[in-house]
Amino acid sequence: MAKPTVRIAAIQFGFALGVVALLTRAVQLQIVDGEQWAREAERTRTERRVLAARRGAIYDRNLVPLAITQEFYHVGIAPNELDDPGAGLRAIVRSLGVPGAAIDREFRSGKRWIYLHGPFNATQVQSLRDIDGVHIEGAFQRFYPSRELARPVIGGLEPDSAVGAAGLELALDSILTGSPGEAVLLKDRAGRRYASPSRLVRDPVPGNDVVLTIDAELQEIAERGLADALEEMKAEGGDVVFLDPKTGELLALASRQVHPGAVPRASTFTDPFEPGSTAKLFTAAALLQNGLVDSTEKVFGERGVWNMPVTRSGRRTRQIRDVHVHKGSVNLAEAIRTSSNIAMAKFSLRLTPEQQFDMLRDFGFGTPSGAEFPSESRGLLAPPHRWQPMYTRASMAMGYELGVTPVQLAAAYGAIANDGVLLAPTLLREVRDPSGRVLFRREPEPVRRVISSQVAARLRQFLRGAAGEGGTGEEAQLVNYTVLGKTGTARRFEDGRYAPGKYSATFAAIFPADDPQLVVIVKIDNPKGSYYGGRTAAPVTRTMLQQALASRRVAIDRGRLTPPAARVATTAASQGVGTPAPKPVVVVSWPIRSTDSVPSPVPVPSVKGGSVREAALALHRRGLRMRLQGLGRVTRTAPSAGELAAPGASVTVWAE
Amino acid sequence: MLWLVVFVCVLLAIATRQSAGFRAARRLGELREERMALEARRTELERQIRLGSSRQVLVPLAERALGLHQPSDSEFSLLPVAPSPSVGP
Repeated sequence: MAKPTVRIAAIQFGFALGVVALLTRAVQLQIVDGEQWAREAERTRTERRVLAARRGAIYDRNLVPLAITQEFYHVGIAPNELDDPGAGLRAIVRSLGVPGAAIDREFRSGKRWIYLHGPFNATQVQSLRDIDGVHIEGAFQRFYPSRELARPVIGGLEPDSAVGAAGLELALDSILTGSPGEAVLLKDRAGRRYASPSRLVRDPVPGNDVVLTIDAELQEIAERGLADALEEMKAEGGDVVFLDPKTGELLALASRQVHPGAVPRASTFTDPFEPGSTAKLFTAAALLQNGLVDSTEKVFGERGVWNMPVTRSGRRTRQIRDVHVHKGSVNLAEAIRTSSNIAMAKFSLRLTPEQQFDMLRDFGFGTPSGAEFPSESRGLLAPPHRWQPMYTRASMAMGYELGVTPVQLAAAYGAIANDGVLLAPTLLREVRDPSGRVLFRREPEPVRRVISSQVAARLRQFLRGAAGEGGTGEEAQLVNYTVLGKTGTARRFEDGRYAPGKYSATFAAIFPADDPQLVVIVKIDNPKGSYYGGRTAAPVTRTMLQQALASRRVAIDRGRLTPPAARVATTAASQGVGTPAPKPVVVVSWPIRSTDSVPSPVPVPSVKGGSVREAALALHRRGLRMRLQGLGRVTRTAPSAGELAAPGASVTVWAE
Repeated sequence: MLWLVVFVCVLLAIATRQSAGFRAARRLGELREERMALEARRTELERQIRLGSSRQVLVPLAERALGLHQPSDSEFSLLPVAPSPSVGP
C-alpha cells in the first residue's frame, strides 16, 4: 500500500487531470467550436421569418380603390387538439361559412390535419383565434373591390405571388412593391413559436400607392355603353377611350371582345386598326399646314365613282367610291363633312409622301404613345420609301394602309382640340407613400407642336360640319352642347386579306366645341346590320356623353359648360365695378318620369317674378322641361301660367 | 451573502421584464389582428356601398321601380347662381 502522501498526490493528479480535461472541453466548446454551437443553439431556439410587405393600392382619380392588398387567412384544424370537437366544429362552420357536412365528414374520417384554404378574411377568423387546435395562417392577397372595372388595363399578379404579371400591375410593379421585413421568433421545446418584440430585425416597408387618371364613374359609363352597343349591334368587339385634351389624361378605357375564342385584353392599347375616314383629318392637316389648299379650291366629285390612275402612264387604275355622291365640285371642308374618299384622294396627291408621312408621324402614329401600359402597340406606319407613291397616298388619305390604336387616335384628336399641341397620354396621376404624402404628381407633358393653332381651329371647324346637320356624324349631336366629330368606316383586315362584309365603325369626337374637355373614341368591330360609323359609333358616343353630363361625379368642369347666354351674363357681371362675378354651378334635374301610359296634361305653374332656380324646380315638379332665355327674375313663360301642357313638354322661360 | 441577494434580484428583474415583454407582444398581436378585422370589415362595407350606389345597380332599379330614365342633355339646366356674401378682410 502506498504512502498517504503518494495517494494524496495521485488523487490530486486525478483531480488536476479532470480539471484540465474539463477546461480543455470547455475551451473546445466555447472557443474552438463556439461559433458552430452558438449557431446550433440559435437554430433550435429561434426561427427567422420573412415579413411580407403590403403591396401599394391603385386608386382612380377620386381615390376610389381599384386594387388593394388585404391580409387573408388559411385555416388548419388539428381535430385531436380540440378540447370539444363538437363545439369547435360548430364554431368553425359558423365563422367561416363552410359547408358543415363536408367538414363533419373530414372529422369522422380520422384525419389528423384538415386544411381549409379559403381565403378567409380577418372578420371570419377573429372568433377562432382562441380555440386550441385551430391554426390560422395569414397571407397578403390582391383584391379588386370594383370587380371587373377597368381590369384589362389594371391587369393582375402572377398566381400565388405579389409580382405584377400584366397591365398596370406589371408596368408600375417597382412603385407598388414594398420591401419585405424580417423577424426572429422564439421556439420552445414543443416547437411552439413566440413573437419576440426585442428580436425584430427589420420592419416591412409597404409599397407606394398609385392614383390613376381613370375616372371610375366615366369608366362605368364607357363599359356599360360599349357592352349595350355590342349586344344591340351583335358586334364582335369594340373599344372606347375618353381623354382630357388639356392634360393628356386618359379618363376611361373600355375594351370588350365577345367573339368566340377572344382573349380579354386592353385592345385600346394593343390592337391597331385601320382608322378609315377618321384619318382624313390628318391629311387635311398636312394640306393646310403646308399651304397646299385654301378654302376656295375645289375638286370634281366624279359623281361618286372615280377610276384613279395609280401609275404615271395611267394604264393601271384603282376604283374609289363615295357613299355621298357629289355631282359637282367640293372643297376640303365639304370633303370632310361628307367624308368624300374621292375628294380626299385627289387632294392628297398635292402632298409628297414625305409631307404626308411627317404629319402622321407628328400626330404620334407609328410610335408608342408613351402611356404607362406595358404591351402597347406602336401601330403601323410604313416609311415613304416603302409606299407605292400614288396608291398609298390615296390610301392614307382614306385611313387605309395605316394602323393606329384607339389611344393613339385619341391623342391625335386631343392635339387638334389642344390648339395643335400633342400631349403624351397618361394613366398615372400621382404616387403617394403609405402615409398618403404625395411623392410625385404628373404634369401635362407636351410632345411637340404638330400644327399651328390656326390650322387646328380650321380642323375643328371641319369637324363641326362633319358632326353637324347633314354631316356623316350628325347622330352624335346633342341638343344644348355642340359636339365636334368625324366618322370612320373601314373594311376589316383579317387573315392577310380584307374580309368581305366586315367593317370597323369608328367615331372620334371632341366635346364641347368651345373649350374642349373630352376627346371620345368609339370603335365597334364588325357590327351587324348598318355598319357605318355614323349610324353605330356616333349614337353610342352621344349616349355616353349624355350620361357623363347627367352624372355629377364625372370629371367634367361644368362651370366651363355654361350655356352661351349665361356666359355672356357672367362676363358682363365680372366687368362691373366691385361686383364679383357669379360663379356658374350646375343644377342637374331629377330625371322625369318616362311616359309609358298616355299622360294627362298638367297646368303650367305660375313662376313669374321668381328666380330661375325656383322656376326650374316648379316646372320639373310638374314633369315639364325648361328652356331658358336670359337670366335673373322670370318675366313670362310660354305656354303661360295655367295653360295645359303634356308632361315632358318644354316650357320656355324668359328672365331678365 | 450580499452578492447572492443582488444576483437573485437581477435575475428576478430580468425574468419580470421578459414576461412583461411577452405579454405586451401578445397584446400587440391581438390588437393588430383586431385592426385587420376592422379594416377588412370597412373595406367590405365600402365595397357594398359602392356597388349599391353604382350605375350598374341604381339605373336599372330607378328605371324599373320608379319609371325614371337617363336624362338627355336637354333635360337638365346649368344655372349660374349669385355667390354667397363674401367676408371682408
